[in-house]
Amino acid sequence: MISAERKPFEEIKASISRYKKVLIVGCGTCVAECAAGGEKEVALLASQLRIDASREGSKIEFKEMTLDRQCVYEFIDQVTPVADKYDVILSLGCGAGVQAMAEVLPKVHIVPALNTTAIAETREAGVWLEDCRGCGDCKLDSFADICPITRCAKGLFNGPCGGSKEGRCEADPDSPCAWQLILTRLEETGRLASLDEIYPPANWAKQQGKGPRKIVREDQRA
Amino acid sequence: MESRTTRFSTTIFFCRQIDPDENTNRRALEKEYGGAIRFFPLPCSGRIEAQHLLKAIEAGAEKVYLVTCPEGACRYCEGNVRAKKRLEYAQGLLKEVGLPAERLQVTRAAGPLPVSIDALTRALLGLPKSA
Repeated sequence: MISAERKPFEEIKASISRYKKVLIVGCGTCVAECAAGGEKEVALLASQLRIDASREGSKIEFKEMTLDRQCVYEFIDQVTPVADKYDVILSLGCGAGVQAMAEVLPKVHIVPALNTTAIAETREAGVWLEDCRGCGDCKLDSFADICPITRCAKGLFNGPCGGSKEGRCEADPDSPCAWQLILTRLEETGRLASLDEIYPPANWAKQQGKGPRKIVREDQRA
Repeated sequence: MESRTTRFSTTIFFCRQIDPDENTNRRALEKEYGGAIRFFPLPCSGRIEAQHLLKAIEAGAEKVYLVTCPEGACRYCEGNVRAKKRLEYAQGLLKEVGLPAERLQVTRAAGPLPVSIDALTRALLGLPKSA
């Protein structure tokens, strides 16, 4: 999923300060899972904004809405009939959600309320761990399903670096050494021999520096 | 009984497990103080959400209490621990909008259970004991 964190309240408040009618739109998918932009978080932010406006004697209308997915046209289209009733849309979607809404609603000011951070997994309740950089050339099979690009601080394809201590990363002792995890898992799955292989550096030119990456599937198109 | 005019507005979320007779016990206070005290029983204090606490403030509560069962007495093991964390999170949200965090307060019922929510509330708010 895409993980995100809410922006500081003051930043959100400043970004909508000139508006009197605000539609707060959450997303019920990834950012709901990471407790940043789902229905609950929309309600919390709306509550904060109402309390703040009341304290300052401002008359601002805040309306709450949460879409199942903020990055898919058919879901965003639920906003279309009401969008012109508001001065601004405060989006609690990820960066893709904000931009998808902007595409559908070209005349509406859409303000992001979240900072999108990573492709992550829910590791445990309240903990989300980045484990994929979306490099576009997945080599997880070679590394026992643990991504060295994402989870090794040095991004080593040919580790370990030798700097880990008691299984912890020397660059970030809060994190386990990714190569320790790779070695353990390779051993447990009888694949230690794959360590003998020398992996060439990732060819970032495949994916980077060419603008937004796009997937086109003719069989899925209208 | 006629409701008294009171100078405070308090919301009390509480774990239903602390008082099996809470439905009866809180009625006297509700009649006595009208809308000045609002009770919201929870099946477990761990079911509280930050939005409940903020909504209470938004609705006009001067003070919001979350009453949990005593440490180690949660029927569901960690409900009261979670409740405290949720309240602390909500306190942070309150501070962001410039309100004092103390308007949200967690309090643990003193054991042993059961404890009358009526007696607990009167002690908490410094109200006279029921007749």
